[in-house]
Amino acid sequence: MTFALQARGIRKSFGGVEVLHGVDLDAVGGSVLALLGENGAGKSTLVKIIAGDYTADAGEIIVGDESHASLTPITARDLGVAIIFQEFQDAPTLTVAENISLGRLPNRMGIVNWRVVRKRARRILDELDVDIDPSRAVSTLRVGERQIIEIARALSRSAKLLILDEPTAALSQHETETLFGFVRRLRAQGVAIIYITHRLDEVTAIADRVQVLRDGNVALLAPVVETDRATMIEAMVGRHITEIPRPPDRDLSVQDGPAIRWVGAASGDAFRDATVLVHRGELVAIYGKLGSGAAELGETAYGLRPITAGTMEINGQPATIAGPVQGVAAGVGFLPADRKAGGGFMVRPVAENVAVASWPRLASFGQFIRRSSETRAYRRWHDRLSIRSRNDPRQQMGTLSGGNQQKVLLGRWLERDSRVLVLIEPTRGVDVGARQDIYRALRDLAEAGVAVLISTSDYEEAVQVADRVYVMAKGEIVADLVGDEITTTRLLAAAGG
Amino acid sequence: MTTPDPTPDPAPAPAAPDPTGAPAPAAALPRGRGLSVPETGALLIVLIALFVYFSIASRFFLNPENLINILQNVAVVGIIACPATLLLISGQFDLSVGSGVGFAGMLMAVAALAPGTGGVDLPFAMNLQVSSAFIVAVIGTLMIGVINAVAVTFIGINALITTLGTLAIFRGLTKVLGDGQTIRIEGFGELGVLRIAGIPLPVYIFIACVIAFWLVLRYTVYGRSLYAIGASPSAARLAGIRTRRVIFIAFLLSSLCVALAGLIRLSQVAGASVNSGLGIELSVITAVVLGGASLSGGRGGIGGTVLAVLIVGVLANGLIQLNVPSFWIEVANGLLLLGAVTVDRVRLRLTRADV
Repeated sequence: MTFALQARGIRKSFGGVEVLHGVDLDAVGGSVLALLGENGAGKSTLVKIIAGDYTADAGEIIVGDESHASLTPITARDLGVAIIFQEFQDAPTLTVAENISLGRLPNRMGIVNWRVVRKRARRILDELDVDIDPSRAVSTLRVGERQIIEIARALSRSAKLLILDEPTAALSQHETETLFGFVRRLRAQGVAIIYITHRLDEVTAIADRVQVLRDGNVALLAPVVETDRATMIEAMVGRHITEIPRPPDRDLSVQDGPAIRWVGAASGDAFRDATVLVHRGELVAIYGKLGSGAAELGETAYGLRPITAGTMEINGQPATIAGPVQGVAAGVGFLPADRKAGGGFMVRPVAENVAVASWPRLASFGQFIRRSSETRAYRRWHDRLSIRSRNDPRQQMGTLSGGNQQKVLLGRWLERDSRVLVLIEPTRGVDVGARQDIYRALRDLAEAGVAVLISTSDYEEAVQVADRVYVMAKGEIVADLVGDEITTTRLLAAAGG
Repeated sequence: MTTPDPTPDPAPAPAAPDPTGAPAPAAALPRGRGLSVPETGALLIVLIALFVYFSIASRFFLNPENLINILQNVAVVGIIACPATLLLISGQFDLSVGSGVGFAGMLMAVAALAPGTGGVDLPFAMNLQVSSAFIVAVIGTLMIGVINAVAVTFIGINALITTLGTLAIFRGLTKVLGDGQTIRIEGFGELGVLRIAGIPLPVYIFIACVIAFWLVLRYTVYGRSLYAIGASPSAARLAGIRTRRVIFIAFLLSSLCVALAGLIRLSQVAGASVNSGLGIELSVITAVVLGGASLSGGRGGIGGTVLAVLIVGVLANGLIQLNVPSFWIEVANGLLLLGAVTVDRVRLRLTRADV
């Protein structure tokens, strides 16, 4: 019999605010359902209810011919529901084999039977047709491999419904394809799959049906073949979004020397022989998949990574930037890919987040800061960057959405008057709507004479914003495209598909 | 203050309140500033309640000499708790303070000791003037801060292990210096005993420390940097803050205040005992955490610490006045620390925004 899980009329409130208003969802064995929606639309809440992490306020979950008012993580697991989160739920210091049996080590009177642990791991890995040594520590694996181990663990519990929460966010193109291979194989074996993503091209590549959530309601449910990109975007954001056009070509030849220039630069094994120029007023993208060296090149501008060969110049001067302190002094602003760990101070007020890099300037006598000067700094950028917050400078950074956090961080470097901006993955985890705001802000900055460099693994992003795109693959620059040459097809072709 | 022009194509007005962040429970809680104000209020209520209770329960509690005694004890703990608040806000702490208090006093007493006096013959006796001995003791105690700071910032050992190590090292060195004995000191009574308008000098020093550290935390780049580092060390580094230098200075400030507190102790009892300051790290950490500085860094302030130091001091004194055996007072101190940490965890869970 085909596995089928039906969620009916699911409602859920947090602190008096209802985030799901009676949502239905059908997961069918042998079929992939793509679940789309902006941050806050309710996708995570919905799948967590299905996985038993949250209890629904109303509604039922029907599996086979049994109806459940609510599930616990254990009952859900027994029904065959497995969820794989973006943040790995593994034990990195333990071996692959032990991770696959995590939480249910075969044992006799508390003594672990390691032979069974290894055999189980071997069987599952063979079934998945992957070549990973079960005795390796998980921490030594690549991100994609770790994800496969998570899936292996779910399958070893004979999962019938596999929920994947933005599984490709950290994967390289090759790893993504491997993952898609798995998903297709599992579908063929009759597993039901719910695939959460915000990448529309993935929906077309992998899913049979697409369900879009918006503000806690189902905004669209359709077979993938009967819908298109524009329809899905409109369902997600609830209004017609104009993807910003390619920026108009500008004559960059009359400009003075480059604001930042790498000549034959290398950094360890990360990249080599890179020659990249970013002029004032120009928005340059380095497009490359994870591990291509695109992010690593950007990091050298801020001293997060040493240049081991070749040179880097800022405003025509050879620059030796040993760390962020020198980077800031040289007029470079830097936004890391990981906002939570490396960009924002989540428990501190937004005003402080904007002011932090400009403290020496805002302070009187070099040391004394007043809240009012931080507040003024925040107000200067709040409207310019369309930061959506409570308009309270003391609001905690962590209460903002990812896109608005990114705008606050952008404001930090604008307040510092940085003339060179380096952004790594500037819109990772950012909503479609906020993404356009950020692109617009970046274009405005470039037009105002700032040299902007973005390192991105999102080719759509490169096409949408960049005046010039360098494509990197395996640590080398493989293409240098300008204006009309910048198209999705050429980027993908250059990067090696 | 001028409002800049809106962007030519303003984004459509968001539904108020903006559905920020992930739809996790915390996102629905409209809290931006933590619980700082009611928290200080709660501490004040606890303090007043304790005060009233002990006033009624013990006839001696309200005796002026007893109140001054409380203040005197509170001053020593409080002077150390000020830099400890800075450290905890930046995500660090210093357990070596208890030994530092003993070491500072012993170093000064031994440095001022004439060889052969009082029937003891210590190899480290230097026969210095009181003022020179004072300076030797301050510099010697600052070395504890230097060792802690180098170990934490440059070698990268965590603060728990580092300061646990220096706690043992300097308690041991205190015993080495004094050969296990109590060393008397003459002519050093003013610092601990002198009274101005009836209040002992250490209380004024404590108040001065409170004001200075309050200003540092609230209004200086250095103070704001501590909050930033505590909130996220990597983000602070990427924002161009010299994180190592900031932490380094905080450990130096800690040992400087420890030296001051230790020498006040020495002056109060006119002698350095090898057990002086024993266990004071517990009172200090309890006070700082109870005062609202979060163990996970990035939050807290001097105001809460001051109230908490008073609570710890009043509680200890009141229990003595009620003839509670001192063993039970130790138990009470431990319970207070666990209680304070529990409150910190609960608060974090309530206000956590970035789930």
